[in-house]
Amino acid sequence: MSTVAVEVVYRGIFQKTLARNIVRTIVFAARKEGKIGTAFGRYGDSPERNGIPAKQFAIVSDSPEELEENLAVYEAREVDVTINVDDTMCKGIESWAWYGLQPINALTKPGGTLIVTSRQEADALIEDIHQKDTAYNLAIVPASTSFSGLWVYKDDHTDVRILGALARVCPELVSLDSMLAALEDQGWGGLKLTSARNTHDRLSTRPVEPGEGSEDEPFSFDLPGWKSMEEGLVIRGVEEGTGFRGVAQGDGYDPINSVADGSHGGFEPTRSAVFKKFSTRSMRPVINFDTCIKCTLCWLQCPDTCFDVTPDGLYDANMEACCGCAVCEAVCPVADCITMVNESEFNDNNSQWEHWTQDKEGYHRWMADLIQVQKDKDATRSHGYHSPGTYEAESEVAMAGDDD
Amino acid sequence: MTTMTQDLPQVRGVKQIPVFEGFTSGHRTCQGCESALVMRLMIKAAGPRTIVVGSTGCMYVANTTYYSTPWVVPWMHTQLGSSGSAATGTAAGLASLMRKGKMQEEPINVIAFCGDGGGVDMGLSAISAALQHDEYNLLILCYDNESYANTDIQVSGSSPWGANSTFSPPGKVHRIMNRRWKKNTAPMLAAGHPDVRYIATACGSYGPDFTNKIRRALTIGGPTFIHSIDPCPKGWDYDPKYSHELGMLAVETGIWVQYEIVDGELILNGPSRAIARGIRPRKPVTEYLQRQGRFAHLTEEDLKFFQERIDESWEKWWVPGVVPFGPHDEDA
Repeated sequence: MSTVAVEVVYRGIFQKTLARNIVRTIVFAARKEGKIGTAFGRYGDSPERNGIPAKQFAIVSDSPEELEENLAVYEAREVDVTINVDDTMCKGIESWAWYGLQPINALTKPGGTLIVTSRQEADALIEDIHQKDTAYNLAIVPASTSFSGLWVYKDDHTDVRILGALARVCPELVSLDSMLAALEDQGWGGLKLTSARNTHDRLSTRPVEPGEGSEDEPFSFDLPGWKSMEEGLVIRGVEEGTGFRGVAQGDGYDPINSVADGSHGGFEPTRSAVFKKFSTRSMRPVINFDTCIKCTLCWLQCPDTCFDVTPDGLYDANMEACCGCAVCEAVCPVADCITMVNESEFNDNNSQWEHWTQDKEGYHRWMADLIQVQKDKDATRSHGYHSPGTYEAESEVAMAGDDD
Repeated sequence: MTTMTQDLPQVRGVKQIPVFEGFTSGHRTCQGCESALVMRLMIKAAGPRTIVVGSTGCMYVANTTYYSTPWVVPWMHTQLGSSGSAATGTAAGLASLMRKGKMQEEPINVIAFCGDGGGVDMGLSAISAALQHDEYNLLILCYDNESYANTDIQVSGSSPWGANSTFSPPGKVHRIMNRRWKKNTAPMLAAGHPDVRYIATACGSYGPDFTNKIRRALTIGGPTFIHSIDPCPKGWDYDPKYSHELGMLAVETGIWVQYEIVDGELILNGPSRAIARGIRPRKPVTEYLQRQGRFAHLTEEDLKFFQERIDESWEKWWVPGVVPFGPHDEDA
């Protein structure tokens, strides 16, 4: 008698079809071995939001009774394998209806495995992953993050490669042969089977010791029950913003007429104390304050009210509120003033403007390095449909990379 | 009794848009959510003395999940089809409290928002009723992302022809599953409610124009309506960074027409005005459609059909881009 649980942590909508392909195939493969299983999404993640971390599960048991017992929970309490299909979520995840930051390995069983698709080295990933007091294993499927899309599925073999890796790290779930048979049943043959088999054969895992990893305390707060909420379940509004960095708004401030030019000491909106966007983004803007022409467009067009207006009339992206959509980069009229850089390059959420005011030379070196890393990796994000043929072209590149 | 309205000056350019934020963080909308931007620009224009009422949709569910709110101003949820009734009730309640001396007399903006599902489909009758009560000052803002985006993209009366959605997936036998043309909501409300002083269409990509429209609607007096087009990276399937650009393309291709109807006069704005005057050619609709995954299955023939419908609306309609019907030849 045994039950094996697998979770897939993915970015909502962009990777929904990818996650579904993975959990469904696990169940089909388990059927080949006479087991019974089910695949489902976490209730609280639906309806999904673009880019917001979400989960789908596959639970496989020897008997229907045992499966039922394991399904009578909202979210599995522990899983044998956690699959993370975007390495920037190694910093932790916040679902849109779940408050606080959940470490990526929170549900991984002692001795279980965390599979991550990444181009990074294991040590670099472990730097971001919260430490655990039990040992587990880390397996890396070498691949760029697959933002496979909703209506148009960009098939870069990430689904089958992960399934191949899964058969390797968790043979008690299903064997590689059953997995390959389940893939064929879905009409996936040829190259896709080869991709699955190659990933299975070449996968290496690295044991992670107890206490190894990031020592950061995951962001959390007390969740009040309905008895401790206010009468009528009223929720207090966010306080009106004051001046920049807690300094009171200067004389003459007027909410109808004062503009975002840094007068009255700048402006910083008060931000939600319970909802941060740390894990929502896979990229963040890096700003060259010296070439900024103060056109206001990044600040104005940001759907997340992410830019603080500094006293010198510049716009500082606040990492508590940025969800990494890159609209600021798209609307900025100055070439290279705003550059989106992959989130895994950063280890803090500090203010770039403060860094720049304190040490301009140091800031420019830091910025130039980040932009160079981004260029070298050619880590352009590719979720969303662009035009006919784009996905086919991108898939060819991704697949060619697999043969390395 | 018509209460006073606030003094909200028009802006000239992006640099005059107020720094005030009434909608900050605490919402968990998609990356690049244009509707969240519309909420933010709306409250920036309206200022802190505003009550917002929101009907069910993304801007309710994603914004105010358990114990969290992005609103600085008072906000309350109302049912899916009742943005109109809630707006009238709120404005009437304020007027009554002020009349009875239970509240200090002061002009307070009342804004009710609804999505296209809540406004164009379910709430149309309540909006119509609200627009008939000309004694109350209120604004109904319909943020149109062209589907029931909150519940994962079902077709609404505002979804464009041919769009892929959960209710209209293209198949092998039938490629085009949404065969309805998008509802022409703002002109319908303008034609049906001649006493309404202000009805407009808007787009969050044009910040100053959007700000001015909200302010005009709130200061002119009586019930008003604004319909905004909001590119939705989730349902339209594009990279979130193109939200701003797609809003502009909707206007530049002539698919979305920017105008205000003020006291019975139609004023076209920005690129739509330039298109109508022949100063600026319309961009081909393919520039807009081919950037969105929801139209990825459209063939050359489909794109041609879409272009012809748009051409027709500009070349054959009685009022180009706005009113499809006109007098019979013998009466003209």
